[in-house]
Amino acid sequence: MKRVVEGSQAVAEAVRLAKVQVISAYPITPQTHIVEILADYVSQGRMKARFLRVESEHSCMAALIGAQSMGVRTFTATSSQGLALMHELLHWASGARLPIVMAEVNRALAPGWNIWSDQSDSLSQRDTGWMQFYCEDSQEVLDTTLFAYRLAETVYLPAMVVLDAFFLSHTYEPVDIPSQEDVDRFLPPYEPAFQLDTKHPYALSPLVTPNAYMEMRHEMSAAMEDVLGLYDGLEEEMFRAFGRRYGMVEAIECRDARVVFVTSGTVTSTARIFLKKLRERGEKVGVLKVKLFRPFPTEEVRRALAGVPKVVVVDRNCSFGLGGIFAQEIRAALCNVPGERRVYGYIAGLGGRDITEELLEEIYGEVTEGKGPERENIWKGLQEVSHGGR
Amino acid sequence: MDSGVAFKRRLYMPRTSMTTEGNRTGSWRFLRPRYEEKTSPCSAACPVGEDIPRVEMLVTQGAFKEAWETILLENPLPGVCGRVCFHPCEGKCNRKDFDTPVAIHTLERFLSDTAFRNETKPVLPRRPPTGKRVAVVGSGPAGLSAAWFLTILGYECDVLEAMEEAGGLLRWGIPEYRLPRSELQREIGRIVDEGVRIHTGERVKKERFEELRTRYDALLLGCGLWKNRPLGISGEDVPGVEDGLTFLRRVRGGERPAVGGVNAIIGGGNTAVDVARSVVRLGGEAVIVYRRRREDMPAFFEEIEGALEEGVEIKELLAPSSIAARNGGLVLTLRRMMIEGKDKDGRGRIVPAGTETLSLEVARVFVATGADTAETWHLPPAGNDKTIRLSRCLLSFEEGVPVAYVGDLAGGDLNVTAAIASGKEAVMALDSYFKGGCGTILEDLSSCRVGDGTSLSMEIYLGGARKARSRHVVTYEEINTDYFSFEPRITQPRLLPDERRLSFDEIEMKLSAGTAMREAGRCFNCGICNGCDNCWLYCPDVAVIRQRRSGERLIDYNYCKGCGLCVVECPRNAMALEEEGGS
Repeated sequence: MKRVVEGSQAVAEAVRLAKVQVISAYPITPQTHIVEILADYVSQGRMKARFLRVESEHSCMAALIGAQSMGVRTFTATSSQGLALMHELLHWASGARLPIVMAEVNRALAPGWNIWSDQSDSLSQRDTGWMQFYCEDSQEVLDTTLFAYRLAETVYLPAMVVLDAFFLSHTYEPVDIPSQEDVDRFLPPYEPAFQLDTKHPYALSPLVTPNAYMEMRHEMSAAMEDVLGLYDGLEEEMFRAFGRRYGMVEAIECRDARVVFVTSGTVTSTARIFLKKLRERGEKVGVLKVKLFRPFPTEEVRRALAGVPKVVVVDRNCSFGLGGIFAQEIRAALCNVPGERRVYGYIAGLGGRDITEELLEEIYGEVTEGKGPERENIWKGLQEVSHGGR
Repeated sequence: MDSGVAFKRRLYMPRTSMTTEGNRTGSWRFLRPRYEEKTSPCSAACPVGEDIPRVEMLVTQGAFKEAWETILLENPLPGVCGRVCFHPCEGKCNRKDFDTPVAIHTLERFLSDTAFRNETKPVLPRRPPTGKRVAVVGSGPAGLSAAWFLTILGYECDVLEAMEEAGGLLRWGIPEYRLPRSELQREIGRIVDEGVRIHTGERVKKERFEELRTRYDALLLGCGLWKNRPLGISGEDVPGVEDGLTFLRRVRGGERPAVGGVNAIIGGGNTAVDVARSVVRLGGEAVIVYRRRREDMPAFFEEIEGALEEGVEIKELLAPSSIAARNGGLVLTLRRMMIEGKDKDGRGRIVPAGTETLSLEVARVFVATGADTAETWHLPPAGNDKTIRLSRCLLSFEEGVPVAYVGDLAGGDLNVTAAIASGKEAVMALDSYFKGGCGTILEDLSSCRVGDGTSLSMEIYLGGARKARSRHVVTYEEINTDYFSFEPRITQPRLLPDERRLSFDEIEMKLSAGTAMREAGRCFNCGICNGCDNCWLYCPDVAVIRQRRSGERLIDYNYCKGCGLCVVECPRNAMALEEEGGS
């Protein structure tokens, strides 16, 4: 059934349909709507779940680790500083192989205090062992949340469903909300690989010596690789259940393109319109939407960019001292691949600043004029600032 | 599920069934928490040292009998004090800095009412008989208190009372509307039930007192101050001038004297106010004439407020200079006074304001400016090497058996609760004397002090649980007020002023159990553990152990790493944190 809902509600509906058993969260803008809706569902009895109120995001993740270790399906949502506060326990959740699913609403980190869209928060957690999916619209958010449970519970790794602050979390769009029967067909009840049992007490994750630690880490790494192998098959199942699929990446008119824009999140929608216009003008331009960031779909990226001479990566984030994080990942993926190409990293739209079609056109102009820009990492759309005062 | 994808990779997840108790986190500790109950400010302010935080805790739990018994161990007359005490406890209540003090006074009265309604028999600790006999002269609050505590400590006790009914000032001095006779009789009945013999109509003259010395092991003299102190002005003996104490005694004896017209009452103490309010009830007009200001009146604040509500007038800064009969009435000549500096008590010093006088035409004059001992031998001897002066009594070893001068005779604070405290102190001192001689009295009594003042605890004297408490008086800053929310204080139900003027019915009415429990729930229980278990809940090392049977909490120092969370989260400062290896 199609309904016009807020992006936050798309997440909440997916969590309800996934029959999550334990929810815990600490409020933070712009994530709060999600757990507000869920709290209502729990209190109204629309969900048979426990909602644990906690005093911090750190405690929230600790609570979910405990709950998931008892063999139940769990959920949380957070943003920005809240995610940063969870950091220690993000490692624990993945290391303990607990398929916790989180909605991460991309928000800038302070200072300056800023509640708007920026990917630095989720990308700072790149190496925690969590899967990351970057969504473009509310429908994709809903589907991906359900998909994340299915995938996470198959490989026993936690997953972050990432959505842009406000552009997605607070925007209303028509969303097809699948029936409970369809969801149940796609997402069976959680079967834990192991679980705590108060009748037969034991402790998980005791001291592990160098004899075994490395093997545990290797299994995590292998599980991430398994995701890449399982992804399309599971999406096929989702397609049969809901009639939709998205792919790890989506290559839009890349085959003959001379310039491909690599995007993630809501910028992709802007890029689609920009692409249509430029194609009408006969420009050979394409867009590569990267949805799956961890594990990184190296092969899919290589295939989509094969033979493309110029790649522009639009990053709503920055790894200070190097540049945009997606740009680095794309460069790394294209390393060891024969062929001549330039990869330009463009940083734009930090802290919620809009990335417009005009801005993308400007970038296109820069990279196609002559030999293209000298620099490989470029900040786009900067304004004069006054440094008055002390 | 029509799954095409069925995939499970084997998972290596180490686990152990070995207990983590081997990790003795207690070895990390450099700060050591411990349970340390402390003293509440209310109990330190209470002249008889009642264990108020524990009483309120028990009321909150609905354990009314135990709460009542807790009071009885320190004060045999909660039904009296719940009515007439000036409740200094509430003035020191830490809750006053949060919203308003707990209505401790009202709750004491509630417990007494409840015990009597249910005909509860108290069970109190008692020492075995000592074989010693003590005579108590006077059955006022000091004498009754002494008799009670003597009985608890195993002494045989005879109380000799001159009047036909026991109670002293409680029976003959305090008006019925403040302390109904039936309530007093119940209190005294309970003391008699404990084995005290009260002989009424036994006026003890000097010769009889000397005889008692030969028949008892100790004597207590607590016959109060019943002789009105004269004003020393002309006309004091004209008809129509009466002393206040005699008037109150007549009224309490059942007389209803005619008091028509204007009655001047000279004085500013409780007796003056009691006379004025009695006059109003008998149909007269009452004007209190006081030489100082209203705020200097020694009468209790609530009594003055009540008197004003009932229509009593107060004339301040007027000193009587003469009384004369005129036209069947009296003319009271008054001198105007003024405040100049302060006297040694810190009250404003009064001096005549010029030579101006004014006259007041009245029907009657009541003198209530103080009282003295009825006989000179009631006065305690001057201090010498055969007397020991304690905070609220005086012991004399001059002639054979020890004699304790208690209550108003001992000087000091002249109020019911102070008199009860005096009787208690004298009994503790005598018991200490019988056990260890004169030399141990001061030390024994000092070890029973509640907090930093003069209040003494019988429970501590008997070696009860209260003995373990620190003498530190808990301050407001030491309460973790995060655990409390603002709650309005109950209002004591009272007769309306118009209803009061018509009879001597008791003004203050009864409280329901639900209301009392709610009010007691406002108590911070400063310094004592009420089993809230915050310590247990917050301990990250599961090092707080609850003893199920005794209700005690213990700290397992094998695992306590000294984070101090328990101490910080204790709402009522019943814990302490010290440096490991410190003093």
